[in-house]
Amino acid sequence: MIAFINVDKTYANGTAALSQINLKIGKGEFVAVIGLSGAGKSTLIRCINRMHDITGGQLNVDGIDVSKLRGKQVRRLRRRIGMIFQSFNLVTRTSVINNVLVSFAPDLPMWRKLTGIYTRDQKLKALEALEKVGILDKAFVRVDQLSGGQQQRVALARTLAQSPDIILADEPIASLDPVTSKMVMDDFKRINQDMNITVIMNIHHVEVALDYADRIIGVRKGAVVFDGPSGKVTQEILDYIYGGGGPNDEAAASLEEERSTHVR
Amino acid sequence: MYDKIFPPKRIVLPSGKTVLQRRTRVPLIVLLLAAAVAWSVQLTEFNLHMLVTRIGEFFKFIGDMTPPRWDYLPHLWRALAATLQMSLLGSMLGSLLALPMAVAASTNIIRNRALVSLAKIVLSLLRTLPTLVTALIATFVFGLGPMAGVVAIMLFTVSYVGKLLYEQIENIDMGPFEAMESIGMTRLEAFRYAVIPQVLPSYLSTSLFCFEGNVRYASILGYVGAGGVGLLINENIGWRDYGGVGMIITALIVTVYVIETVSEHFRKKLI
Repeated sequence: MIAFINVDKTYANGTAALSQINLKIGKGEFVAVIGLSGAGKSTLIRCINRMHDITGGQLNVDGIDVSKLRGKQVRRLRRRIGMIFQSFNLVTRTSVINNVLVSFAPDLPMWRKLTGIYTRDQKLKALEALEKVGILDKAFVRVDQLSGGQQQRVALARTLAQSPDIILADEPIASLDPVTSKMVMDDFKRINQDMNITVIMNIHHVEVALDYADRIIGVRKGAVVFDGPSGKVTQEILDYIYGGGGPNDEAAASLEEERSTHVR
Repeated sequence: MYDKIFPPKRIVLPSGKTVLQRRTRVPLIVLLLAAAVAWSVQLTEFNLHMLVTRIGEFFKFIGDMTPPRWDYLPHLWRALAATLQMSLLGSMLGSLLALPMAVAASTNIIRNRALVSLAKIVLSLLRTLPTLVTALIATFVFGLGPMAGVVAIMLFTVSYVGKLLYEQIENIDMGPFEAMESIGMTRLEAFRYAVIPQVLPSYLSTSLFCFEGNVRYASILGYVGAGGVGLLINENIGWRDYGGVGMIITALIVTVYVIETVSEHFRKKLI
């Protein structure tokens, strides 16, 4: 269970990214976080695995106050939380299986870390993870030979090899076409249901979010403005979440950009 | 500043919107370059007439060196081998040392600003020292002989490979690094698993390229007493034994050519 209690996050340059966030996310939920770019979605999920530090309030993961963790404890927390990124964040110069195997690296003895040699058992586990996302046949192909959808599934396999309790996904389908998006979203749904892994996903595609997630959290200017089951989301609520005004307004920002364009 | 003196051109679209186009800077740059060239010619007393009349002497010198004195070749092997050994050892030690230096100089890996600037300053200071000067200093410290040459080449390699490597590290995609940290790795482990695979091919390629260049440098280091064939060239010019000098240079050209070809082949495979 993840609990945000009056969480604030202000960046070093003074921008307030999150203010007074109160959320409870239970084990096995599939949560989609929606909102404009810059509303604070990425910051919200990155606070959970301490990729960002919160500046106020309390954030508990299974009863542990994550802001109190130090060094090794933070890394132990992260071992249990998988993360998926918009740009996949794989090492493209090496094989698919090597990208999955890195999940085991933190627990390896020093000589294995230096040489990059893994055990037979770990290789088997990595292949199993690839099987779960349906790309076992690509195990020994270099990542840069794969399509975007396949790369995102490699990233999913890397996360599964960690056997996490929670998966955080930051715009996982934003760089994919609609067909591959659907395949990746189906993978997420299956993982969520079959393995009872909590999924918290930032997503721009509202219809996809409503289709797949059990619960929607709407974020606007660093505050939660909607939190409820997907079925309860109406057009009015969406209009409010994506509503205009303020410095985070994309439309206003792009208009401003256009006004001050210099053409070389 | 430039935009104030020469205001940007205003283009009005039929729709009434305006865009500003900045004036080109090319004429200013050409003017500055021309001034710099004129100043250099004046200062160096570069003279085209002299170049034309005296160029013949250069070919006369080459004529004296041909044919090379082939019987001198057996005396060369040791010095030639020493030159190669010097550059190989110096390049390898230097490339290895360059790795930690480059990491320390990378702003995206090391968060400590002081350490980063210190490493960058050390690398640029090393680069400002010409290898010949480093070798000269090294002969005072380690005595005459190849050891001084190895040290000089090593220091140059550290600066050269180190500089190129930290630029590559700073330009890599940090996405995988973030992913490794999110898996629960320390920054050092994340470097090992996310950065090394990305920079390794170009690191090896740069090291090989540096080794190529070092073979050439190593041949001249004998001039300051740091061992290798340079010493022999110096001696033979002193004795006016141009046939011998020709032999040394021929042997050097062949060696350098072979090494460059081999190294180029492997560098192509790497990239």
